[in-house]
Amino acid sequence: MENTCKDCCYFLAIDVFKGMCKMDKASISHDSLACGHFSKIAKCKFCSKYKQETEFLGICMDQVAAHPDLVAIHCDSFEWIGMN
Amino acid sequence: MNKITETYNIFGKQPDEVISSPEVSKEPTARASGLMALYFEAKSSASVEFPYWYSRRWAELDGEIPIVRRAEALKAGFEHLTPVIFPGELLVMGKANYLRGSYPMPWLSESYFMAAEDVMYQEALQSGKLSADKVTTWGKGGGNVTKSEGNVISIAGKFGIRKEEIPALLRIARYWKDKSVDDVGHKYEMMVPAYEVKEALMRSVICMFDSGYTLPQGREVMNYYYPLQFGIGGMKSYCGEMIREVAGSPDMDRLYYYKASLLTLEGLEQWFLHYEEEARLLATLEKDAKQKEEYLNIADRMNWLSQKPPRDFYDALQLVWSFHVAVLNEDAISGLSPGRLGQVLYPFYKRDMEKGILDRNKAIELLECMRVKFTEIDCFASMGVVGGVLSGNTFNNLCLGGLKKDGSSAANELEMLILETGISCATPQPTLSMLYDEKLPEELLMKGIECTKIGTGYPAWVNNQVAMEFLVDNYGHEGMSMEEARAWAIGGCLETSPGSWMPLTLDGVEYYIPGGSAPATSVGVHFLSLPKLLEVVLFDGMDMRTGQRVFQPHGFDLDSYDELWEAFKDYFAQSVEVLTLCNNIQHDAWRKISPSLVNSMLKPDCLAKGKDIGQKGCRYNTTFNVEICGTTNLVNSLASLKKNVYENTEFSLAEYRDAILANFGYKTAREIGSYSLIDQQPREEYMNFKRIHKLSQEAPKFGNDNPYVDEIFKNWEEWYCDMVHDYRSLYDEPMYACQISVSTHAPMGAVTLATPDGRLSGTTFADGSVSAYPGTDKNGPYALFNSATCWDHSKSQNSQLNMKIHPSAVKGRDGSRKFLELIRAYLRKGGFHVQFNIVDSRMLKKAQADPDQFRGLMVRVAGFTQYWVELGKAIQDEVIARTEYEEV
Repeated sequence: MENTCKDCCYFLAIDVFKGMCKMDKASISHDSLACGHFSKIAKCKFCSKYKQETEFLGICMDQVAAHPDLVAIHCDSFEWIGMN
Repeated sequence: MNKITETYNIFGKQPDEVISSPEVSKEPTARASGLMALYFEAKSSASVEFPYWYSRRWAELDGEIPIVRRAEALKAGFEHLTPVIFPGELLVMGKANYLRGSYPMPWLSESYFMAAEDVMYQEALQSGKLSADKVTTWGKGGGNVTKSEGNVISIAGKFGIRKEEIPALLRIARYWKDKSVDDVGHKYEMMVPAYEVKEALMRSVICMFDSGYTLPQGREVMNYYYPLQFGIGGMKSYCGEMIREVAGSPDMDRLYYYKASLLTLEGLEQWFLHYEEEARLLATLEKDAKQKEEYLNIADRMNWLSQKPPRDFYDALQLVWSFHVAVLNEDAISGLSPGRLGQVLYPFYKRDMEKGILDRNKAIELLECMRVKFTEIDCFASMGVVGGVLSGNTFNNLCLGGLKKDGSSAANELEMLILETGISCATPQPTLSMLYDEKLPEELLMKGIECTKIGTGYPAWVNNQVAMEFLVDNYGHEGMSMEEARAWAIGGCLETSPGSWMPLTLDGVEYYIPGGSAPATSVGVHFLSLPKLLEVVLFDGMDMRTGQRVFQPHGFDLDSYDELWEAFKDYFAQSVEVLTLCNNIQHDAWRKISPSLVNSMLKPDCLAKGKDIGQKGCRYNTTFNVEICGTTNLVNSLASLKKNVYENTEFSLAEYRDAILANFGYKTAREIGSYSLIDQQPREEYMNFKRIHKLSQEAPKFGNDNPYVDEIFKNWEEWYCDMVHDYRSLYDEPMYACQISVSTHAPMGAVTLATPDGRLSGTTFADGSVSAYPGTDKNGPYALFNSATCWDHSKSQNSQLNMKIHPSAVKGRDGSRKFLELIRAYLRKGGFHVQFNIVDSRMLKKAQADPDQFRGLMVRVAGFTQYWVELGKAIQDEVIARTEYEEV
């Protein structure tokens, strides 16, 4: 699956439809295809401790409910997939 | 036929030319202009981020002391909020990770945002909690997400939420089932005798909503003293010291309170530091040198304020805003007012100006940025509450004027700038109120007039002396002195709220700054529809719209006006009784499950006592009220029945009942899609009811200085303002009267059949509490003032008068003088409040027909200013229909 702007650490959401790029302030939508500057933001779906259960639901560390698009930049337990 | 003409609501001669723009127009700074452009693009957006982390932490701490558990959950919410900083912002921080962000709080209530077919939603519908939602309409434009689109789901026709967050939101909501304030309160409120009457009141929309789990806080004035004086670090230190002092001592609740406050402050500290990090990241990405420097300044500021008190005016304004948002994030809140902010911040302003580190232009730029930030606030609650009551507004009322602690005028030059930026950067928030006192300088008053004349509806004009009299009367037993009463301000749209003087020391100089010192001043019975209650009296306890019984038959024959009046008082009293008891239970559930922490630590004397707001930690706690709607239609209806049925015996009550059920032979408002009397259309059978409708319309009407109807009004007010004191709040204090319609006159009108005053079924009631019904005030503004002040306004928390004046009537310097004298005349008669739309009604009709061309147009509704395009049609119709004065 191709990366979209909502998964990029340079995406600044204005609302649920759209946002802007922190790099160049270009108007983009959450679902725009990512550009060459794309860099993943920490989200549950990129964490090694997250297990997907359904399309939009999952579990964290085998015990706590979580969901794939939850931003985890301030989660102490976050660990990038493939980093451990 | 009895044609209702398009000009029936004009007093005087309307000029031929339509006036579409204000006499004076000023532009905001380029910065504010850019930020407002971004705001106009933004849609109301909900996020699940805060509720997720809050609920996750809460679930981890089963068995913990409740207030500590709550603090841990709040801390987790603040620590995990994604910071968002938009280019050009000088003030940062927001409720959620969007520009107009908000989020549901399922720990308060979780059923209203479930899908309509969900069993939780259906249960709530059955109990009457969602009845108001069903009769509420939203504005179709502006920032409202009225329908689902692509990957965005619309909730309640207002908020958009990302599709990928919906399953998580529903899972969190289900976690809170039977644990939320709503559910726990409901379990116990059902034990109240006559509980079935309460449900019937909700289903019939005689009562609009429960206050304990919908908007448990708000309608109050913030107090920024502690953070301004001590900073987060100082407050943390104090809590730490107190923990050591009280640990193991009797009254152990203090220990838990201080621990909970400390945890909450730690969460806030991290929230600030995350903004620092984000600002530094943005600075690294930024190519523009000026913007880069601003990001770095923001980073330094957020770092400093994460611990220390403000160094300057800019710091102080940022800290005020941050704590304002922090309180908004702990509960669903409307009406959290910054209070007399120009006086709170004046010491910083004055010192910075004297030192030459602040100039007028910079102060204006900052104040405009503040207006934009306040305008971004959204409140996520049910459709009936956010739409039907609030019209999407959040009522952050900033007050000007009033008196200092020593009784002299409190006006200052910062307040002049606040008015100036209210003109140059006209936005709905914060709305402004002038606490009018004879001691205020003419310069401030004329600036207020200049601002009111631009047509945004602010400042509202409020009577300082009447408010202080109310406060001493109602809070005297808690120690309220006249000196302390001077610290008051408006909480929410128009709720008189107690304040206190706090000794802010800056560079060794002591300033007494005013700030709120009570919890929410408008919780309790919300709202009671007086015309609907009269309808139920006429039909012996039945709601004829739904066919359901509300009360047991009243047992009166209604063969005299006195009997009618007694029956009405009986049903009103029954309503107040059962709703008071049920709401007390809901608020008790709130204070146990979801106690206030951020707000509590700001309000004197919670920190000193070691008690939160729910434990009477505040200095003043007599804050529950009985709120009503539709006074004018009630009074006009009583006058009509008295005249036509009991005195002139033109008709029997049975004939009136038939006419009401037949809507006087007219189509219903819903059928024709308009909620204004102007637009109503007759059916063929109209002729059968022509005479009764004509005599109903011709019966004496409030607002004309007519003693016949004013006496009925006075009797009602004196009885109502007195009887509410017989009911006791959760805090075992007497309740008081509150009479503001906000937006409830639309949905409550929508469910009310035709009324004996000639108003037709489904049409919106008269707004406010002392506003005339549109088109019925025929004798000019001074006659209206006489009618409105035929009772003592200090006996109520408020009264509300809305007027619409054509711009040509107050044009120029002479017009401004006349306008000020008009306001003075009303306030000197003892009126509590008056507010204005200075607008040409024909322009509003154009805006209704072509909303896209009027995105920035604002109007005054009832205690608040809102974008025209974000108002529901019922309110738009009502504002258009208001009597327009062509001369004053």
